[in-house]
Amino acid sequence: MTDMLGALARSIAASPAHDGATYLLGNVPGLPPIVQSVHLLAVAALMGSIVLLDLKVLGLALPGQSLPDLTRRLIPWTWWALPALVLSGLPFVLARPHRYLANPVFGIKLALLVPALVLTFTMQRWLPREDSKHAALPWFAALSLVLWLGIVMAGRWIAYADYLFEGE
Amino acid sequence: MPFTDFWMAMETWPLSMRIGESAWFPLLESLHVVGATFVVGSILMIDLRLLRLAGREHALSRMMRDVVPWTWGAFILAAVTGLGLFITRASAYVENRAFQIKVLLLLLAGVNMLLLHRVTLRERERLDSGESRSTAAQMAGACSLVVWIGVIVAGRWVGHLS
Repeated sequence: MTDMLGALARSIAASPAHDGATYLLGNVPGLPPIVQSVHLLAVAALMGSIVLLDLKVLGLALPGQSLPDLTRRLIPWTWWALPALVLSGLPFVLARPHRYLANPVFGIKLALLVPALVLTFTMQRWLPREDSKHAALPWFAALSLVLWLGIVMAGRWIAYADYLFEGE
Repeated sequence: MPFTDFWMAMETWPLSMRIGESAWFPLLESLHVVGATFVVGSILMIDLRLLRLAGREHALSRMMRDVVPWTWGAFILAAVTGLGLFITRASAYVENRAFQIKVLLLLLAGVNMLLLHRVTLRERERLDSGESRSTAAQMAGACSLVVWIGVIVAGRWVGHLS
């Protein structure tokens, strides 16, 4: 696995995309914090949508709103946030591929994304139905909550895991 | 910078050193991000409703009553964790231009929140109906959005200025 990731990192590092990202992030004044802020605002959109929905399903928040209606209004924000997160994250991975691909915390973050996306997609299909009283729903919501919050926290820890690994 | 001795002394408190030299720092920082992004995300719903860009069929007062307690909870999480982070390098943070702007924006956000509460109380029925405009409410909504986004951007910039 590490060999594959190492090979991937090397091929990214040899690509024009890497050169472009490195140039932009290094030469456009303020670009790194601006792009990171976009990433954070997209995270805020996730918080205000899927996280709020999970809390609603668990009966913890927004008692005055109907679940199907709330889902319909909020879920689009989740799906729009995702490409924004990818696009704002990509420049950094392209500019320093080894830093990310060799970092287990980044791997954990991406690994958590898979079940999180599957859950969100499933909930999106079940929640808008007026009669959705599926017994599994609160469990899905609880798991979704833990996963998404875990992903956000893992994102911040990437920088700290760096210090545990010598030489990059 | 006034109180320099005080800020520097803060950094030597046992609590400050405990946080600064352990995994507590990354833990507090990630919880800080969770809290701050939740504040902005939840306020977004309210602000869009104030600007009558979304959710007009829902009573504003009900929406606020449902959401604001959670926003407050997230804000308290962000504030407490923020304090924990601050004390580890207090003297550096107070000199950091981005941090100063962030604190200023937080104060503005607080003032805006108070004004918002007054406006929504005074014009409750008009705002709930979603039919009529209230310039004060719209301005409060727009300001809130701009200021809170500013807090996030300034917060990110703190780490980029030494």
